[in-house]
Amino acid sequence: MSLKGNGSPVARRIALFGILMIFWYTLSGFLDPFHLGAGVLCCAIVTLISGDLIFRSKRSLFESARIFIRFVLYIPQLLLEILYANIDVAYRILHPAMPIDPGLITIETGFTGDVLRTAFANSMTLTPGTVTVDVSGGTFTVHALVLETSQKELLETRDIQNHLGKIFDEAT
Amino acid sequence: MHLLNTLALIFIAIGLFFMVVGAVGLIRLPDFYTRAHASGKCDTLGEGMMLIGFILYEGMTLIAVKLVLLVIFIFITSPTAVHSLVNVAHSRNIAPWKKGDERR
Repeated sequence: MSLKGNGSPVARRIALFGILMIFWYTLSGFLDPFHLGAGVLCCAIVTLISGDLIFRSKRSLFESARIFIRFVLYIPQLLLEILYANIDVAYRILHPAMPIDPGLITIETGFTGDVLRTAFANSMTLTPGTVTVDVSGGTFTVHALVLETSQKELLETRDIQNHLGKIFDEAT
Repeated sequence: MHLLNTLALIFIAIGLFFMVVGAVGLIRLPDFYTRAHASGKCDTLGEGMMLIGFILYEGMTLIAVKLVLLVIFIFITSPTAVHSLVNVAHSRNIAPWKKGDERR
């Protein structure tokens, strides 16, 4: 049994059902027959309706687990950068003269995976003074609060882009 | 326990600070896109910090697990929501504010 996108759909649905049941139990906290029965019913309905929406990746389970672990290891660094970005935005908002210089930036990347593009767009919204405006293919349009520093971070050093590309094994 | 409560209070206070900054930014900043920065960034971190404070206050219970799930979901959904708002503004050709323009 594998969880590949072209693997058996039954195996994928059983895995999804298991995950949903764990989630149900975490949220309810009751183990008596009534609550568990309601959980089985709800999870079965969700699995029947949207079982093919999850686990669509072409990667093997082992590869996905490695990517997941690498991503979890990247989170502390991301949180630190989010904190810096927030302090910067807070400073600019509270400064009496409001030193902002907004504008649009376009970034070309070679990213194709859905999860990777979502992760990149969300990281850019959270970190270096930018909000992702538009994504089409591998081209990202972002609105920057301070044009100059954001250009330096996104077009010259490209820290987030290189990091996420390495994590997801895709060319930047 | 005393130390943990103090730590929780510190986290909640920092979170509150960022929430207030987000609200102030919503009023002070000049246009839609720049306001999206204030609500998108400051609110995400503020909510995250406050929930971490609640987790520290709560200790190791099922409620803490639920709060951890909340933090994860907020960090995924909040930037996505801001992106979809800004995306609609962009597709409706709302021009971004430039330095020297009048406030709108």
